[in-house]
Amino acid sequence: MEASRGTDEESLSRKALAGDRSAWDALVARHHRRVVVSLLARGVRVDRAHELAQETWARLIQQQQRGLLTELRLPNLALTQAAFLAADDARRVRRESISGAVEELPERQHPVDPAVSAERRLLSEEQLSRAHAALAQVSPSARSVFLLACDGQELPHAEVAAKVGLSVQRVRQILCEVRKKLRTALEEETHA
Amino acid sequence: MLKPHLTRDSAEQYILGALAPEKAAALEAHTLECEPCAVLLQEEALLSEQLTEAASTFPREERVVRPLAWHARRAATGAAIAALAAAASLTLVLLTGDKPTHPSVPDSLDANPPTLALELDEGDSPTKSNVVACPDLATQDFCTRKAAERGLLVMNPWGTAEVPRYEARTGLPEGALSARQPVSL
Repeated sequence: MEASRGTDEESLSRKALAGDRSAWDALVARHHRRVVVSLLARGVRVDRAHELAQETWARLIQQQQRGLLTELRLPNLALTQAAFLAADDARRVRRESISGAVEELPERQHPVDPAVSAERRLLSEEQLSRAHAALAQVSPSARSVFLLACDGQELPHAEVAAKVGLSVQRVRQILCEVRKKLRTALEEETHA
Repeated sequence: MLKPHLTRDSAEQYILGALAPEKAAALEAHTLECEPCAVLLQEEALLSEQLTEAASTFPREERVVRPLAWHARRAATGAAIAALAAAASLTLVLLTGDKPTHPSVPDSLDANPPTLALELDEGDSPTKSNVVACPDLATQDFCTRKAAERGLLVMNPWGTAEVPRYEARTGLPEGALSARQPVSL
């Protein structure tokens, strides 16, 4: 089923690259929430996050129409584009809030590199190993549910539920339980 | 009027996409008016991104998805496979027993080797290009700007690649430009 999911994603990406609007709609529906959440995680307000997410998709479709997209790897490409837009937005806001010469902008001393901010690591190696250790301690079935739902492939909860033979409600309950354990593990590390 | 403040659970449900659309909209509206709740939502979003990173880097050999009744079914499945294998072996023995034992010889030895027809899809061919040239110096700036607006790459005429050029005609008689004295046009 994972293979068919991958094939489905590849097929949609190929069609979208060929300009198929319905394929774009399906990909946007699948990955839009992740883009919004990634922007929220960068401290963007929720209304602006929605606007930037819309702009992200508009830019990607525009690039495809211009023939500038040679491959479409989602959600990573959309996340990178959104991060770039967020960084650009933050720069513009700062520029408007500073009344003075360009030399006074903080970016002059510490230039913002969109590539770095787009692919930044959210967890240190130590945090990552703590999260993995905590994940290894949960039950195998709960771990399967968590990994299926949260590995970045944006598998809908209904599909996760069908795959593991549970109800959607139970899948969400498991996700909340695992999140709580991992949150505790990460906070312990932070406060240590 | 301010709506009820977010709880961590409600923020988590929003991030997971488990809220009904109207509840999600109400939650979003509240975070626009309430800074602490906006921060709470951003914290949950950050945690979600961190957990995605943790999940995507979790060792893959441990990621085996099995239905809950896997262990109960495994013994039955093994027995069924063994029975199928035995039936297949018996069928093979019976079928080969009816046929002559000498090896089969091909009717003719001049058979053509198998061929495989390859068809190239036009969409896959690498001939599509978004590179253009602006060789006319008179209109080069305009041409370059227009190409950039359309997302096309411009090949510089003074580059190393071959760029189609044409000779412009000034309409002046030959030698007019280098003449030391006035020349009749």
